[in-house]
Amino acid sequence: MKEYRDTPHDFVAPTEAEVKARSKRNIALAACLLAFVLLVFFTMVLKGQLPNAV
Amino acid sequence: MSAQPQNPSSAQPFSLAGSGASSGLSLATPGDYFQLMKPRVMSLVIFTAIVGLIVAPGSIPLWQAAVAILCIAVGAGASGALNMWYDADIDAQMTRTKKRPVPRGVIAPRTAMTFGLLLSVVSVWTLGMATNYVASGLLAFTIFFYVVIYTMGLKRRTPQNIVIGGAPGALPPMIGYAAVTGSVTLDSFILFLIIFIWTPPHFWALALYKVSDYGRVGIPMMPNVAGPKSTRNQIFGYALVLAVVSAAPVFTGLGGALYAFGAALLNLGFVALAYKVWQSRAGERDEVQPESLYDVQKGDRAARNLFAYSILYLFAIFALIAADYLVGAF
Repeated sequence: MKEYRDTPHDFVAPTEAEVKARSKRNIALAACLLAFVLLVFFTMVLKGQLPNAV
Repeated sequence: MSAQPQNPSSAQPFSLAGSGASSGLSLATPGDYFQLMKPRVMSLVIFTAIVGLIVAPGSIPLWQAAVAILCIAVGAGASGALNMWYDADIDAQMTRTKKRPVPRGVIAPRTAMTFGLLLSVVSVWTLGMATNYVASGLLAFTIFFYVVIYTMGLKRRTPQNIVIGGAPGALPPMIGYAAVTGSVTLDSFILFLIIFIWTPPHFWALALYKVSDYGRVGIPMMPNVAGPKSTRNQIFGYALVLAVVSAAPVFTGLGGALYAFGAALLNLGFVALAYKVWQSRAGERDEVQPESLYDVQKGDRAARNLFAYSILYLFAIFALIAADYLVGAF
């Protein structure tokens, strides 16, 4: 069965500039999240607070 | 948070650059988000926090110090983002701030708020985990004070806004110090006090040559409420008090001969420039002021010079404290 959202009514295609800006934001967000995860991990390692599983 | 400001631009759906139907995607770049964190303020915060960290008795591993500084910087950035969220309405009307990401329309006020809250939680939690909870508690207090007490409470209500509101800007060296010691001491309080007393003459010098800017949006800065003459008097008074307060490190042993000599010269310059402001007619002309932070009308130059010098002054005072400590250590 065809889904309702397969036939959108008011879809406005993003401009090239908007898509480019979104890509940049996504990359920056991913980089920041990765940096944060690494920061937490290494902080725990260096403080000797790793859980037993690691 | 239900304290959404009365912001004409936020009363309507957030509109993106361009007209007509929108895809709903923003044009904001990572650089716009960085602007939201007030990088210029952040640089001063980072520097003073590093000095607090250096002069604190004891030591912590370099990685821990780096994480502490990062967290303090991010916490300061979070405050900046929350400030820009709340002040979007007035920022849009001031020449100095109208190009910030929220009034420019590239970041929605609600997005700025979310960004600020997220960074606040992350920075406070990470600092506590990496160092100690005295430092992270002070950082949380700093963000709370800047956003709730200063931005939401004092800024639009009293000409003493930046006097009391100077506290969060003065706390970073104390946080850096606490990251090492886990405590608040007389020395860290002196570092706090230097920035706290420095804040009024610094901001009032700016307010003197941006009178119309603040007046237009109804911010009760001292020149707008008490008048330029009273403000010039108070600037000079604070400059004298600052000269006394900045001598305190010499008596507690925080600063040595190098600091004493350098601070004396720097204070001489500060008092001399404050005296020139006192003698001038800065702030008397109520016209539309230039957009740039440093462009001034004729007559306001003394105030502009003091404002510019005050930034150099604070950097130099803290650099001297650190240099003196490092010279003594090696």
